[in-house]
Amino acid sequence: MKFKYVLVLIFVLLMLACLQTSVVRLGPSVSRPPVPADQVVIYTTADKVPGKYEEIALIHAKGEATWTDEEQMTLFLALPARAPSEQVPRAYILKGATVHTAVGPPIQDATVVIENGKITAAGKTANIPPGSRVIDVSGKVVIPGLIDAHSHLGVYELGDANEFPQPIGPENRALDALHLESPDWMEAVKGGVTTIVTGPGSGERISGQSITIKTFGDDLKKRILKESGEVKMAVNARNLSHIPAIHSTFLKAREYMEEWEKYESGDRKGPPPKRDLGLEAMVRVLKGEERVRCHIHFANDIVAFLKLKDEFGFDLTFEHSTEAYKVADEIAKRNVSCVCLPLVCRIGLPEDLMRGNAVLHKAGVKIAMHTDHPVVQEKWLRLCAAISMRYGLPEEEALKSITINPAEMARISDRAGSIEKGKDADLVVLDGPWYELKTRVEMVFVDGVLAYDRDKEEEALKEEK
Amino acid sequence: MFRENKRKKAMKMAVLVSILLFCLTLSGREESIIAIKGGTVLTMTGKTLPNGIVLIRGRKIEAVGTEVEIPKGAAIVDASGKYVMPGIIDAMTYYGIRPFDLNDRTDPITPQNRIIQAFYPFGDYGRGKPGIKRDQEILSGGVTTVYIAPGDQQVIGGQGAVVKTFGKNFDSMVLREAAAMDMTIGEPPKVAFGENKKSPVTRMSIAALIRKTLIGAQEFDRTLSEYAQKSAEEKEKAQKPKRDLAMEAMVKLLHREIPARVEADPVDDIRTAVRIAEEFGLDLVIDSGIGAYMLKDILAEKKIPVVLGPTSHPFITGGEVSITPELSRLMTERNAALLSEAGVKIAMASFGFGFGSLGDAVQGKWLLLEAGLATGFGLPDEEALKAVTIHAAEILGVANRVGSLEPGKDADIIILDGYPLSMKTWVERVYIEGELVFERKKAQ
Repeated sequence: MKFKYVLVLIFVLLMLACLQTSVVRLGPSVSRPPVPADQVVIYTTADKVPGKYEEIALIHAKGEATWTDEEQMTLFLALPARAPSEQVPRAYILKGATVHTAVGPPIQDATVVIENGKITAAGKTANIPPGSRVIDVSGKVVIPGLIDAHSHLGVYELGDANEFPQPIGPENRALDALHLESPDWMEAVKGGVTTIVTGPGSGERISGQSITIKTFGDDLKKRILKESGEVKMAVNARNLSHIPAIHSTFLKAREYMEEWEKYESGDRKGPPPKRDLGLEAMVRVLKGEERVRCHIHFANDIVAFLKLKDEFGFDLTFEHSTEAYKVADEIAKRNVSCVCLPLVCRIGLPEDLMRGNAVLHKAGVKIAMHTDHPVVQEKWLRLCAAISMRYGLPEEEALKSITINPAEMARISDRAGSIEKGKDADLVVLDGPWYELKTRVEMVFVDGVLAYDRDKEEEALKEEK
Repeated sequence: MFRENKRKKAMKMAVLVSILLFCLTLSGREESIIAIKGGTVLTMTGKTLPNGIVLIRGRKIEAVGTEVEIPKGAAIVDASGKYVMPGIIDAMTYYGIRPFDLNDRTDPITPQNRIIQAFYPFGDYGRGKPGIKRDQEILSGGVTTVYIAPGDQQVIGGQGAVVKTFGKNFDSMVLREAAAMDMTIGEPPKVAFGENKKSPVTRMSIAALIRKTLIGAQEFDRTLSEYAQKSAEEKEKAQKPKRDLAMEAMVKLLHREIPARVEADPVDDIRTAVRIAEEFGLDLVIDSGIGAYMLKDILAEKKIPVVLGPTSHPFITGGEVSITPELSRLMTERNAALLSEAGVKIAMASFGFGFGSLGDAVQGKWLLLEAGLATGFGLPDEEALKAVTIHAAEILGVANRVGSLEPGKDADIIILDGYPLSMKTWVERVYIEGELVFERKKAQ
């Protein structure tokens, strides 16, 4: 009997501890005196080294900064870190490459300045701040860090992609299933992918909320661009019950929204309406604060879903969009964007479908590519766009489909998706044209940190030999 | 005596007449002559010939060179600015096999099964509606020869075959049958039979089953040869050994008429395959071989070739090789480069049937691009091209017919509008046995 009480006590204490630290509290950052440059270290996600958490703490202890609760939480959340490998220079200068900014024509022999994680200049000439590390990248190509508009990286690994018994689950959040230990995050970085929209699968009608996150960085809080919100839906293979199920949920959400509006405006007296997490997410969609991401393949389903959009007026992107090109005008008219196949070689499509992306683009539909990781591995995103180019999408447009277009769809274009002053320093250095088979990723910067350096990898491989 | 002489004479006459008739039919059939000139010719066995000429007579290549005399009446194909190379060979596919015909999940050991009996390459895409021709899909990637085999859920699935992707009739498509004995060591049979609650569910049992079958074949072989050595009298007395389709097929393996194609990915499974092959003196080809680079020196020393999956090799539900987390850690795009550098002969193949009825055909068309992708990870261009042509032909045992541009070989030739390993390059024309079977439309 006594034992039971002890157990309950322990449980309660644990719960309290959890509440205290609130494992995934991701509020606004707290200002703190900056850590001196010589005490900053690079942490990479590649290796686990025991005792590194303590080392981080030690570094901070040396400085004058005191830890806030929030920061301690961040430390708790910090990914397995590696020993400081090098001093972070004050700034990186990438000099001499052809820069594809994704928002304008390519700049030859350009200079890109990276300071404090941001791009501070990108053009023919730039002031070079003292103490910066100049990297000669002449003859090479620099493109923005790639953005995958639709992935399941970090969600599927432990079998958490689909809550099958619950066909309507807008309250489920990808963030709460995020598996950051997967080696595929680093593989994505090596492929030049710096940001992904990753979320639940398509086994349900409304499967939950996606997360938009950088693929690299030791501070989860900083890595997350968008914690949740976007609601993933799925209409599968001409099933009659699918759209009505979603329709009903929208109707419920509208009622729920109106109830709260009445209560908040004082029109309705009495206790507040009962909260419903799922409907709350749907209300944000109805208010246009978030978008719907709808997994869809067939033209008739697409037309039916567009009618739902007409009725409720939400912001929408179609995902996979296999037959979207057949109703391209209907989609363009409503300003809906499409996340498109092709997946790469393993799921090839017949020739006429392969040309669909070019058809959509011509009709004026904004398109983005996706890997649907693990269907196609995250690192081959660049190849998806290249194959679209092969099938008629103009070269610059194909690059946009894995940079600025998905950034705009995910509403993060203020931070990522192009090489412009003020944006996050997410950059990829390539040794040839971005679309070519032989071309390799040489360097990847994420938030101004050199996350991948091929030379170093080659050296390490040689040592192994 | 006299009668016998007469008979001999009659025989001779018959032979002469038939030869004459044969010659007549040959000369009667119009042998078309095609000269492909002006292109960069990648012969795959000799030098690359800028501004070369490939001369096709009938079904065969007659001459390849820079100074080939073009006979009168030859159709000239101008390939200036283009590349000419042998048709692509996909060394592991399920092309033309319905997914449900791949695995006999009731029995882990079925050497008697022949994939050729499930080969149906004539399907259209679109469930009866006018759709895309399956063969036009695979030909659009320049693929002219493929190896087809049973699936990987059984330990010994059966006999594979080498077929062309186009032919006037069924028989003319078959290049070699049986071409290999298809086996799997590792997860796929474990999972498939585990679901059925049947053996094998461990690697131990898989290896034991293969050994048992091979020992059975040795005994069967001995019985046969003992019977064959008997005199006619003894034969009459003794009981004639019963025929056994499975054992007959396995004996071919023991006699090294065909190799064992063993799908094995983790290093330990590859080791098991090598061990068994050595015990029984088999010719071995490793399929998929995700971890093969870890054993590259052993494979090179024992001259065991590897048929690799595509470079991008993403895991796909329902694909040939299901990538477990363990394999995912082992996987590297450098596999091809490392093996080739160590001296292992490699082919690159599409594997798997992917999604839907067209998946197999659609995957094959990416093979050249996948080879190109490997060049980004250290595989020399020449090796990448050989991995989808001559090396594939050698591994499949059909190098006497296909795989390179040499006089006497089948006129399976593709013309590309640019360097074969570039993202921008398209296959413009495909010839199979001298016949133009695919032409890319200008509008495309």
